[in-house]
Amino acid sequence: MFSPQELRQALTRRTFLTRSTTCLGGAALASLLNGRLSAAEDAPDLKSYGALPQLHFAPKAKRVIYLFQSGAPSHIDLFDPKPELTKRTGQELPSSVRGGQRITGMTSGQSQLLMVGPSNKFVRCGASGVEISELLPHTGKIVDDIALIRAMYTEPINHDPAVTFLLTGNQQPGRPTIGAWAAYGLGSVNKNLPEFVALLSGGGGQPLLSRYWGNGFLPGRYQGVQFRSSGDPVLYVNNPPGIDAGTRRDLLEGIQDLNRLELGAVGDPEIATRINAYEMAYRMQTSVPDLMDISKEPESVLQMYGAEPGKASYANNCLLARRLAERDVRYVQLYHRDWDHHGNLPNEIKRQCGLTDRASAALVTDLKQRGLLDSTLVIWGGEFGRTAYSQGKISPDNFGRDHHPRCFSVWMAGGGVKGGQVIGKTDDFGYNIVEDGVHAHDFQATILRLMGVDHTKLTYRYQGRDFRLTDVTGKVVEKLLA
Amino acid sequence: MRIRLVAAFYCVSVIFIGTAGAANQPAEANQMVPVAKVDFNHDVRHIFSNHCYACHGPDANKRKAGLRLDRKEDAFKKLKNGDLALVPGDLKKSALWDRVSATEDRKPMPPADFGKPLSPKEIDTLKRWVVEGAQWEDHWAYIAPKRPQLPEVKNKSWPRNDMDYFILSRLEKEGLQPSPETDKAALLRRVSFDLTGLPPTPAEVDAFVADSSPGAYEKVVDRLLASPAYGERMAVQWLDLARYADTNGYHIDNAREMWLWREWVINAFNKDMPFDQFTVEQLAGDLLPSATVDQKIASGFNRNQMVNFEGGADPNEYLSKYVEDRVVTTATVWLGTTIACTECHDHKYDPFTQKEFYQFYAFFNGIPENGLDGQKVNPVPSLNVPTPEQTAKQKDIQNKRTAFAERIKSEVAKAHPNESVTSAAVKPPDTREVVWLDDAPPPGAVLQGNEGTASWKFVTKPAPVFSGEKAHTRTAQGLSQHFFTGATPPLHISAGDKLFAYVWLDPKNPPKEIMLQFNDGSWEHRAYWGGNHIDWGVEKTPNRLPMGPLPEVGKWTRLEVDAQAVGLADGANMNGIAFTQFDGTVYWDKAGLVTRTPPAMAFTTQAAWEAAKDAKLPKPIQDLIAVAPAKRTDPQKAELRTYFIRYVDGGSRPVFDPLNKEDEQLKKAEADLNAATPSTMVMQEMEKPRDTFLLIRGDWQNKGEKVTAGVPKSLPPLPPGVKNDRLGLAKWLVAPDHPLTARVTVNRYWEQIFGIGIVRTSEDFGSQGEWPSNPQLLDYLATEFIAQKWDVKKFMKLLVMSAAYRQSSHVTPELEQKDPENRLLGRGPRFRLPAEMIRDNALAVSGLLNRQLGGPSVRPYQPPGLWEQIAFGGDFSAQTYLQSHGPDLYRRSLYTFAKRSLPHPSLVTFDAPNREVCTDRRPRTNTPLQALELLNDPIYVESARVLGQRVMKEGGADVASRLRYAFKLSTARLPSDQELAVLRRIYDKQLAKYQKDKDAALKLVSVGESKRPAELDVSELAAWTAVGNVLLNLDEVITKG
Repeated sequence: MFSPQELRQALTRRTFLTRSTTCLGGAALASLLNGRLSAAEDAPDLKSYGALPQLHFAPKAKRVIYLFQSGAPSHIDLFDPKPELTKRTGQELPSSVRGGQRITGMTSGQSQLLMVGPSNKFVRCGASGVEISELLPHTGKIVDDIALIRAMYTEPINHDPAVTFLLTGNQQPGRPTIGAWAAYGLGSVNKNLPEFVALLSGGGGQPLLSRYWGNGFLPGRYQGVQFRSSGDPVLYVNNPPGIDAGTRRDLLEGIQDLNRLELGAVGDPEIATRINAYEMAYRMQTSVPDLMDISKEPESVLQMYGAEPGKASYANNCLLARRLAERDVRYVQLYHRDWDHHGNLPNEIKRQCGLTDRASAALVTDLKQRGLLDSTLVIWGGEFGRTAYSQGKISPDNFGRDHHPRCFSVWMAGGGVKGGQVIGKTDDFGYNIVEDGVHAHDFQATILRLMGVDHTKLTYRYQGRDFRLTDVTGKVVEKLLA
Repeated sequence: MRIRLVAAFYCVSVIFIGTAGAANQPAEANQMVPVAKVDFNHDVRHIFSNHCYACHGPDANKRKAGLRLDRKEDAFKKLKNGDLALVPGDLKKSALWDRVSATEDRKPMPPADFGKPLSPKEIDTLKRWVVEGAQWEDHWAYIAPKRPQLPEVKNKSWPRNDMDYFILSRLEKEGLQPSPETDKAALLRRVSFDLTGLPPTPAEVDAFVADSSPGAYEKVVDRLLASPAYGERMAVQWLDLARYADTNGYHIDNAREMWLWREWVINAFNKDMPFDQFTVEQLAGDLLPSATVDQKIASGFNRNQMVNFEGGADPNEYLSKYVEDRVVTTATVWLGTTIACTECHDHKYDPFTQKEFYQFYAFFNGIPENGLDGQKVNPVPSLNVPTPEQTAKQKDIQNKRTAFAERIKSEVAKAHPNESVTSAAVKPPDTREVVWLDDAPPPGAVLQGNEGTASWKFVTKPAPVFSGEKAHTRTAQGLSQHFFTGATPPLHISAGDKLFAYVWLDPKNPPKEIMLQFNDGSWEHRAYWGGNHIDWGVEKTPNRLPMGPLPEVGKWTRLEVDAQAVGLADGANMNGIAFTQFDGTVYWDKAGLVTRTPPAMAFTTQAAWEAAKDAKLPKPIQDLIAVAPAKRTDPQKAELRTYFIRYVDGGSRPVFDPLNKEDEQLKKAEADLNAATPSTMVMQEMEKPRDTFLLIRGDWQNKGEKVTAGVPKSLPPLPPGVKNDRLGLAKWLVAPDHPLTARVTVNRYWEQIFGIGIVRTSEDFGSQGEWPSNPQLLDYLATEFIAQKWDVKKFMKLLVMSAAYRQSSHVTPELEQKDPENRLLGRGPRFRLPAEMIRDNALAVSGLLNRQLGGPSVRPYQPPGLWEQIAFGGDFSAQTYLQSHGPDLYRRSLYTFAKRSLPHPSLVTFDAPNREVCTDRRPRTNTPLQALELLNDPIYVESARVLGQRVMKEGGADVASRLRYAFKLSTARLPSDQELAVLRRIYDKQLAKYQKDKDAALKLVSVGESKRPAELDVSELAAWTAVGNVLLNLDEVITKG
């Protein structure tokens, strides 16, 4: 086919057409956002490819991989050791600790809220000596690269609003997710792939909604594009039966020829844009299958992740995330389901750790080995934490935990994050925050900050209001920054 | 100006119908109007709004220095410090000027940390405005429109109707000429899409081109307006606004039924219901005197919002969300006002207070609905609307039941339970088998497992089956299972009972371990056979009980487990069972309980039966038994006796067993009928409405002062003679002096036809919205709409009959430079078709389109697994995509099942919203994913093939005439020689290819479920399919031009 250069020449029938097909849209927006053009050329570090005329800070994280653990893993059993809970297992949670705070309809009917300690032991890991559960031996090995936030907190107490809040800054549907904001504000440097990709794994447990990788009020092109492990990796990227690559190229050439004739006759620059879109679509037809084919990865790499070509798994998705990062895809959002352990927690959490621990750690290690970790922010976490008290009866190997938004643990690695540290502290019961709480909006502000964006300045006007990811609050967690 | 955002990947344009960043609206308007006296509304208000209102606007809590700049009476008042912000004509005395012109050392306004400094031009505008006398006007949108005079125009021959004068006068002011009229075929294609959403047929094109009579075009317009497709086309935008969908939206996102409401909308447009009536029936049809069923259906407009039942959520929280949604939607749809801000605080830009938000809220707060609802169709209040046949059936069943009740009565009277016909005759067996699960799971069971609902795979012979028709099976690598919970009634366990299940292990692929798990609220009841691979529970305890080696492979074995040994005590109620395995292929069959508890019917005296206090009896019967015999009333005695005879007494079985069976059949028929009867959600008022409180910062847990229903003060009061309720609110919206409703509505119809509203921000007519591109035109249209009694068809006709509409849409360099977005209408409208029309067009062009009107939603092709991967599963609806077949595959796209959590890809890819919330405007993007969709989605490949079939049959004998016909079907015009040459090249090359590769040809023409005529040569059809694929991807074909 033709290069963009050739395409442009083909289109220079009238000068005004050139204007609309070159990639200078950011400049037009610059004056709208700031009232003046940026000096982007003088400060290449601040170059933006999206709606922002230029970045506000030198970006540490050029891309983000967010390993979202849907259903809300228990911080008490994995990241936030509470010996006091072990000691007091079976005793009523002191009412002074709960302080009359809201609990869900699933445990509000229980006559007692009996505390229960973690299901497994905690061990000190790495040079930093951060304690995490023995259920996460692989994460234990990368502990010096991660910043463990033990004092995350959020507002909603149920899954749907909580995921929506953490990813869009608002509990009710309608707003863009972090990835859509990043795609909109920063754009992409990859010519063949979308800037925001979603990968799904796991089954059972809490449902997902496409709004979790949605564009909200932003135009549809900022929606996360789902890359799938079965069927077409991207919807309709494969030719239909009976049309091979050669035929496809012939037909596309025909389409482009006819569209060019129309452009000549009608003169609408939108036609030139369409011609370009078809060119990109053709490139995606090769780049996407190539990206998704992990069978070419060396055996050692597959083993490191626990990935198996052709299978749908979290491990495969972590490996794909690295491949996407290598190709400079701006934002990759993974979802892994089934962390909602209201009952049978000790067994279920063990199973989930078995499915995710190795691959999560492998991703960080692999990025580091390839020199990509410094410029790639990896985030691991769910939508809230779980209660210090048991839902249902307690037996040595069976208890459950209800939803707990008042504190939970999330970790970040790479992309300008200072590793080997713990941020924030919860009380002896893992119930309330004692020190350095990180609100969902603070967390979002920090992600944007690492990407070089001032969260108060990435806005979009919708229905008369300039909206932003962090709504009206949000403070960057300075301690996290390297 | 058109903003093109072009990123490296897509490198494609997004037309920001929405606006990026701040301060967007005045630039364009300013460019177009020569420098004249400063006009407050046009030039100054947006400066105040963008730069000052945050601290000097309507929000009393944020106001500083006592300065308020959104209302005249405040703007000229003395400030806290005694100064005057504005003194008309006197810059020096105007404190506002002093501050905005101040140098940095004197802290100019707005403050630097606010981040929105005034540009020199804006400062100059403020200066000139003050010097010129600081003339104030109220915000234009809150003043009722007045009919403007027709403006003078130079070119008197151009206008075809009054509307054209406003357009031409503006063009002439800019020194632009209108474009020539487009050719007839193009005009027909344009107006056909605009009024029906469908392309014209070649016959329609020929007829119109041939008709040279003066009224030819008007005839076409009238024909299109009378077509039933008109209502379908007009409905789509309304469905976006009404956030119509077929699922509940939150969390599990299961199905609801609202299609009757959608059908009502389509019919209302087709009947040309005036917009004021359309408004009143949808907002308050239920409150109209002797409301008809149709009016009640219409009132469902404000039940379309999402509904939640997530476990553990607080019903009060969601009740408040539903009402908020109604407020925001109603304000957006009718008032073009973004009232959502006032949920938490007074509006920062427009004259609406937080209290007014909750007064508006009170109109919608009296619905007898549940905060958590929707688990089953439909959330209340809802209405069953049987078809005439269903009504007849219902009557029939009713009659049968009445007759049946009589028979029971007489049989009971005849029965004489004999105390002596006892134990000997119907002696209960020592043990009996209660089968719980055989060919189907028990009632109430929620099917789950590794693959969700799909985990349950029932097979029939020749697969191994032990009992009945079916067995269920699973093949696993590692740990895998299928199970259910929630069986109702549960299986009652008594002391000494044994649980059993039949199993058959595949000799070719035996498992390493099998496990049965039982659920009585917890799964901690497990028994396993074979190796110890499954890691649940504690070994050798009731939650992991070893039962010995695996049974012999290749034969059915009965597994039996002592209920007490797995921790199920006397009295336990079991609601679920799990079939778990490690590796291998396993078949399972009949499962249940062996019990010594006699079945209820074994009792032969009423006293013995009563004494047994069977916990499985219906609650009312148990309650009666609990009443001491001496204290029972006669009716109570009769009821107990009747029950005993009908269901328990051994001697009465021969008479009553068949009768009871008949009764069950009747009940089932009734249940089936009820399930088949369409339901729809409606509005209704509680007898005693809920109190409404201002919610502090919008927090449902934080109630402020109590408020009553009312409309915002900055708008007219309720018209005389209406009640202060929803009906009054509806009538208020369509009162002739309402400044917003007519303007907002005509602006939206305008947008539908011309691409961008006269007010671009059609959802926001407030001070942050865009200034109208032609205010007189907007007011002319609004007043005309009201004068024509809100007649929508007449209004649409007005738009499409205009000279402006009929212009050629070709873009000249001059127009592209001066008016790239065509806001002034120097040319005809040209833009990509909306999502639904793109698919409908392909179906229509090929001839696949099924024109059936209305009815429930359908499920066209969709890539497998999309729903299932995100679904919760269980027995909830809309978790598994069950694709339609036959004609339902080819319905118009507005009938495609709208699942909010995963809308159909063919629609979202082309910018259709997910319908979670009210959507006023769709962006129009142009992306590679759209290209992939049109190139490869089976519906477009099938359409191309069927188009090929049509062309081979109808397009004449030679290739050239067939190519011309195909092109004309797709574009309504004939191809140029150059275009024909390209098409010929494609056809010849593909034909040669497919003649060589018959396999590929057959594969291509086999895409899609529609039948392929056997007589057509496969290679030739494949080549035509390839041509069709090219045509359906052309920019021109997916564009209204």
